[in-house]
Amino acid sequence: MTVSSLFSLLLALAVTLWSSPVSASSDYHEQLFLQPLPQSSLLASFNFRGNTSQQSFDNQHFQYIPRALGQILQHAHTKELHLRFSTGRWDAESWGPRPWNGSKEGGTGVELWAWIDAVDDEEAFAKWITLTQSLSGLFCASLNFVDSTRTTRPVVSFDPTGDHSNVDGLHLLHGTLPGEVVCTENLTPFLKLLPCKGKAGISSLFDGHKLFDAAWQSMSVDLRPICPSDGDCIVQIEQTVDMVLDIERSKRSRSNPIPRPVPNDQLLCDTSKPYNSHDTCYPLEKASGNAWSLQEVFGRTLNGACPLAQSDDSSEQSVCLRVPHERQVFHSEGAVEHKNEDGFTRCFSLSSSQPFDLSIPEQAVQTEVPLEEPVLHAERTIVGHGQERGGMRIIFVNPSKTAGVDFILFESLPWFLRPYIHTLQATITGADGVPREVPASELVTGTFYRPAIDRERGTQLELALSVPAASTVTLTYDFEKAILRYTEYPPDANRGFNVAPAVIRILNSPDSAPIYIRSTSLLLQLPTPDFSMPYNVIILTSTVIALAFGTVFNILVRRVVSVDEAAALGAQSLKGRILGKLVAIRDRLKRKETKVE
Amino acid sequence: MAVDRRKVAVFGAAFVLRLLLICLFPSLPDLLTGRVEVSTPVNSFKRLQEGLYLYTRDVSPYDGGVFHQAPLLLPLFSLLPDVTTNPVPTAIFYFLVDLLNAHALATISASGQSVQSRLHSAMRKHIRWDGTSVAAWFLFNPFTIATCLARSTSVLTTSGILFAVSSAVSGNSLNAMLALGFASYLSLYPALLFVPLALLCYDQRSQNSAQAPNTALFILQHGAILSGGIAGLLGLSVLITGNFWEFMTATYGFHLLVPDLTPNVGLWWYFFIEMFDSFREFFLGVFWLHLASYVGGLTARLRRQPLFIITSLLGVFAVFKPYPSISDASLFFALLPLYRHLFPLMRYTFFAISALLYSSLLGPAFYHLWIYAGSGNANFFYAITLVWSLGLSILLADVIFAALRDEWEQDHPERKGEEVKQV
Repeated sequence: MTVSSLFSLLLALAVTLWSSPVSASSDYHEQLFLQPLPQSSLLASFNFRGNTSQQSFDNQHFQYIPRALGQILQHAHTKELHLRFSTGRWDAESWGPRPWNGSKEGGTGVELWAWIDAVDDEEAFAKWITLTQSLSGLFCASLNFVDSTRTTRPVVSFDPTGDHSNVDGLHLLHGTLPGEVVCTENLTPFLKLLPCKGKAGISSLFDGHKLFDAAWQSMSVDLRPICPSDGDCIVQIEQTVDMVLDIERSKRSRSNPIPRPVPNDQLLCDTSKPYNSHDTCYPLEKASGNAWSLQEVFGRTLNGACPLAQSDDSSEQSVCLRVPHERQVFHSEGAVEHKNEDGFTRCFSLSSSQPFDLSIPEQAVQTEVPLEEPVLHAERTIVGHGQERGGMRIIFVNPSKTAGVDFILFESLPWFLRPYIHTLQATITGADGVPREVPASELVTGTFYRPAIDRERGTQLELALSVPAASTVTLTYDFEKAILRYTEYPPDANRGFNVAPAVIRILNSPDSAPIYIRSTSLLLQLPTPDFSMPYNVIILTSTVIALAFGTVFNILVRRVVSVDEAAALGAQSLKGRILGKLVAIRDRLKRKETKVE
Repeated sequence: MAVDRRKVAVFGAAFVLRLLLICLFPSLPDLLTGRVEVSTPVNSFKRLQEGLYLYTRDVSPYDGGVFHQAPLLLPLFSLLPDVTTNPVPTAIFYFLVDLLNAHALATISASGQSVQSRLHSAMRKHIRWDGTSVAAWFLFNPFTIATCLARSTSVLTTSGILFAVSSAVSGNSLNAMLALGFASYLSLYPALLFVPLALLCYDQRSQNSAQAPNTALFILQHGAILSGGIAGLLGLSVLITGNFWEFMTATYGFHLLVPDLTPNVGLWWYFFIEMFDSFREFFLGVFWLHLASYVGGLTARLRRQPLFIITSLLGVFAVFKPYPSISDASLFFALLPLYRHLFPLMRYTFFAISALLYSSLLGPAFYHLWIYAGSGNANFFYAITLVWSLGLSILLADVIFAALRDEWEQDHPERKGEEVKQV
């Protein structure tokens, strides 16, 4: 760092310290939300939110925005950024709607979308590449593999969540890495972005072993400007980690993690099943719920509140738990419990000096926390067999008895999967359960389709659809699998290629905030050549070509003569003369032999 | 009149056979459309439909990786009713194209150009099939039927070529050049037929008129007609697509650079899958040069039989073009019976026919083993394409040898039937 820049930094620091009212808009909050879910699961939702005024952000005085990230965004002219790391599958049928309505969730792997300030598409793409390269280094993820084939420009699937002064100059770019394995090397840089760095506050609960052992987990980083109608603009960073842990699994001790079967006498069986007998059992869930504590589930206790979190308001309740009030909850000393009036939620204010633990004993309760029904179920699978072609089938179930659902289906497909959009077909199954084939145009109210170009860009398909009440819609289309050059296959070519999850944006949610659902990612089997024989193939093909070329041109350039003419001609040629000499020598030798005799 | 009745019977039978096939096996056309032996990226009907779908919805079909066929096919096929709900009109359109091709073949055969041309007169003129037999051989060839049922757009290229030849042998050189322009516009490679076709026209013209026209001028004139025809078609295409470079790169660029390596019966796909990246461009050049090199060699040596040059070049294309299918082989097989008089002079017919039969029977089986059963790998199908190419090239070389021997016999009538050798 040069002297002048150091000086300007110090100056900026001094100015900010001097004018403390300017930084009044900068604050930091964190909250942990815990909710036991059916099937002995526990949803833990961590949220960290920091604000900095736009002015100090522009002056490179980042405060709660991590400097590393802030500088990247400024360098790449990125005005709004959304980054997601996800693994596992959210089981909507047993767990209900997604946390944050799916807006803090990404598809399996890594998903990134950003609004970039640029003059035209090319410049935006260049900045996007800068952004992905830098983020790749910052988060230890393969984001640098987000190239033009994995980048799309969604039209209707995403709207900016921040307030931007020049929306027209912003370009939305979206990239996915469905094959990326999210793991601890991504968690460490994520924690480093937090003011308390995982040393104190709720982030002290993060343990890579537990986090990535979850049935489903999603980490997100969102950065956006917010301009309230009264007052100055702020830049907000919001980091969340949502995960669903299996309580039983998490409670296993690390030194002896082998699962053991429940002893027979402790098994709870569903006796209503016809096959229930002394040696067959359909296990029931425990009516009394699981006993657990933070220490058991996360492997560590909470290290007191993060001192940087806003503490002027003493009622900052950073840990909330959603269980019926009648359920007993023990907590460690120093924390204060507040029960909400809805009868299900209680929150705790932590002291910054003492560690905090929660413990819930096994207890039979009468009331249950109500789980809402998701607005829409979606499932996407690849159908067909063989490595030549296949079909995509997307099933949407609208569980509502009264209201239809309007939504946008966004698919970004790799170029080696070639969809045939003219084969798009829809089947609708109403309440009567009779499937009926309808023209796709009846359900699809709008289409945006940008076909793939080989090795250049992927397919981008956005369909505006509506599913009537209490019905199931199945969309299908055919695709063809391209065969690649042998250098384009990964080392595990026969495992298949990951296809990014479809993003579904539900439009008619009651409170205008969009609901997002993501399907699971898919594995696409492509035909593979034999990787071991490039030389053999080059040699064999060349041989056949040489054979054909040689034969044809041999016939073309030579003269046709009759056989006796050929013999006469042969005597005059060099070969004929040499042969003649040889015969003469042989004859002479033979004669000598006969003389000796 | 009797001959005509035979022709009508053959044509009617071919039509009814095709109609019966699609009525008895309604899924057959779609099955054949999906076969790699029949449909390649540049002639697949399914890709044409995708292009049509985009075209009718005002999306440029060339701004994508699926459609690589000529733009004029789009308005042509958008006139036909939707094939998913009403497949019969499209099928009948293809049947009629097939019948027209057979008619053109019959015309070529009737002209007798294959046995008796300006500079050449075959020794065994009496061993000959008439036009109806040649047409029947074409119409009842399983390869032709498969191509027709699969609705591959290469049948249109085939008609372009056959009409060019039939116009040329009937002395209508303007039509010949325009038809060749149409074929070249559709699939690029027929442009290589220009020189032999111009020679054919030249021979016809000099035979019919009192004095031979100036050779260079004649070739130039016809080159101009051909380029004019192609330019007109390209101009129309620009009117349809609105973007010249976009469709040029998506169609002819696609033919030339071979980016799509979907398996087919040719030699290019597996070679370029396995090729090292740094040599890809070099070998693309080599393969195209190799393909073009036959034009010069055959034209120079077989100048006396321009129709035979065209026939053997079509054989070369069936083996060595970037996206060959069995429709190219069927065109070569369609022209071969014109040279029925050469069959007695061929030496390796048994071997060539066995190789072709072997590969056409085992090809689908090995493809199934590779793609569906998973019990074989890509080499299985690759080996079969090698055998297929080898069989075709042996047949080709054998026909060329027979033609040369025929020429020799014409020069030395006293030595007819003698054993010959090449030195």
